[in-house]
Amino acid sequence: MTKPKILVVDDDPDLVRAMRLRLRANNYEVVTATDGYSAIASAQKDRPSLIILDLGLPAGDGFVVLERLQNADALAGIPVIVLSARDPQSNEERALKAGAAAFFQKPADNDELMNVIRVSIGSAATQPRAPWPS
Amino acid sequence: MNSPTTQPATSVLLIEDNPGDADLVRLRLVEGQSPVKVNCVNRLSDGLASLTVETPSVVLLDLNLPDSHGAETFRRLIEHSPNVPVVVLSGQDDEALAMKAVHLGVQDYLVKSNLSSKHLERAIRYAVERQALLRALEITQKKQLEFKNQFLSHVSHELRTPLTCIHQYVTLLLDGLAGPVTPDQGDHLKTVLKSVNQLHAMIRDLLEATRAESGKMRIEPRCISLSELLHQAVAMLRPTADEKKVGLEIGVDQRLPLVLADPDRVLEVLINLVDNAIKFTPADGSVMLQANIVDADPGSVYVAVSDTGRGINPEAKSLIFERLYQDPDSIDNNRSGFGLGLFICREIIRLHDGRIWVSSEPGQGSTFTFTLPVYSLAKLLAPVISYQDRLRASFVLVRVDLTPVTNPPRGNWKETWQQCLEIVRRCIYLDKDLVLPPMGTSGAVETFFVVASTDLERSGIMTTRIREQLECVPDFKAKCMLAITTVPVQLLAAGEGKLLEKQVQGVADCVTQMILKSLERKPVSFGNDSAGKKQRKSQSRTKIN
Repeated sequence: MTKPKILVVDDDPDLVRAMRLRLRANNYEVVTATDGYSAIASAQKDRPSLIILDLGLPAGDGFVVLERLQNADALAGIPVIVLSARDPQSNEERALKAGAAAFFQKPADNDELMNVIRVSIGSAATQPRAPWPS
Repeated sequence: MNSPTTQPATSVLLIEDNPGDADLVRLRLVEGQSPVKVNCVNRLSDGLASLTVETPSVVLLDLNLPDSHGAETFRRLIEHSPNVPVVVLSGQDDEALAMKAVHLGVQDYLVKSNLSSKHLERAIRYAVERQALLRALEITQKKQLEFKNQFLSHVSHELRTPLTCIHQYVTLLLDGLAGPVTPDQGDHLKTVLKSVNQLHAMIRDLLEATRAESGKMRIEPRCISLSELLHQAVAMLRPTADEKKVGLEIGVDQRLPLVLADPDRVLEVLINLVDNAIKFTPADGSVMLQANIVDADPGSVYVAVSDTGRGINPEAKSLIFERLYQDPDSIDNNRSGFGLGLFICREIIRLHDGRIWVSSEPGQGSTFTFTLPVYSLAKLLAPVISYQDRLRASFVLVRVDLTPVTNPPRGNWKETWQQCLEIVRRCIYLDKDLVLPPMGTSGAVETFFVVASTDLERSGIMTTRIREQLECVPDFKAKCMLAITTVPVQLLAAGEGKLLEKQVQGVADCVTQMILKSLERKPVSFGNDSAGKKQRKSQSRTKIN
């Protein structure tokens, strides 16, 4: 069985490296991007099963990325988990409204994050035209 | 250069009812060297009306007017227009009254009989200058506060980025994902992780206190059973207490009503108080959590956290809820944090319209008590369950459970359940049914209760309507599972002959008990519950590992 592919988008390369290690250990294939523009490019090229997205990014911040993904038919079904240092009080609802499947504030609990990744990939796989198929 | 002739006229609002005095003041003003424009009114109410239309440079105020006398006159004027300089012109040389006026913000107090034009002109000029300086100072202070709050919220965001990196790598090592770790190395890493968690808590407190200070702290009140929250707090802190060999007990009044409060925030307060209590209690001591109702104050529930620690000295008691307060006598060597915990607690309780205080004697332990408003079901039920001064014939309690299809729910679950609650509210008869606020149940499941004045047989019409309407929500079935259950409300003592108020209270008590009992039976949920809580508890004090 092929491993699910996860796209990690964060402008901090050290954090990207740590996330890659952890996700690989949890049996995921990992692709990465460090800015908004290459995040969209990678989503189109690599067709990940899930995207972990930071909000503060160069070349198109996380909200721009979310909007682009939602507007591209082929990409709109990919679940996006926002992982950001920003204040949830002013960003969580906005991210969820923009189509994110979940919002985590950094630093996030690893177990909770892995659980949400598993659940999100699972429900997206059974319902290919996510986020909320009719 | 401004020559006296081009100088803009000083506009004076003269509030004076005695025509002779008014003429005298007008004369003194005109005699002066600078141009003056005088608008004279003879009642305070006319003065206040004029101030809403036009702001003068200064107000000259007589104290005894047809519609106001003495200190009341300047109090009302300053309350109405705090930014306009006021000079009192009084008939009596009363030093005590003059001091009172100045303390309330009046710029000067002059006695009419010794009024010279030079004297008056100077008094007006200084009053205007002083008021302007005061205003500038206020604006600067406000700007500084805004800057400080922005700075703190920026700092707490920026600190999170490197902290996240440390957290990720330490947990990678600890989880053995970067190769095997010896037991000693594991211990060292756990120490690092503990400090990371402490730092994380401090950053969160900093942001929280900043929010509280700038009025941006928010609460989402629900109907909650405090007993459940108390047990939750104790379960979370049991390991800490056990480690310190401190006993941890709960005492809950069985008659406890539902309270209207934000469960996550109240849990935060409880954890903070209990954690402190454990910290300041020596081994073999004990910490007790209690929730009671007090007959003299039926609108509140009292929650108390008592310990058998060394107590708090009297001077510290008044300061303990202030920002950044740290006990200077603290001998606790693992003191951590900024001293913001109790300040945040106080702000959370204040947002709930509750009170928090401490009572303590040195050496005798301390008790922190806070109050929360009771959800007064009886008051809300009274108009819907009675008709023409009689209790309606029969009632049912309808429970609506919305369970998200995944746990944690995907997407904006809050938006979904709020939309559903709105629909339920539209499916009832406003004059004889009542939808309760959302319940503070744990987990991602949302539960709503409806008290309906109908019998079991006819309630089917309502529940069918609710079901049909909810299923019209776009993608409803893809988002959640719906369960609706209806139980008749069986009143134990027949209400005949009793006062209507007592009968309504009887129904309210009965419904409260039914709700509490019903909430003990958890509806079907998926996966692991703690992750489900994350959706609502992203702000709360869960430890990161």
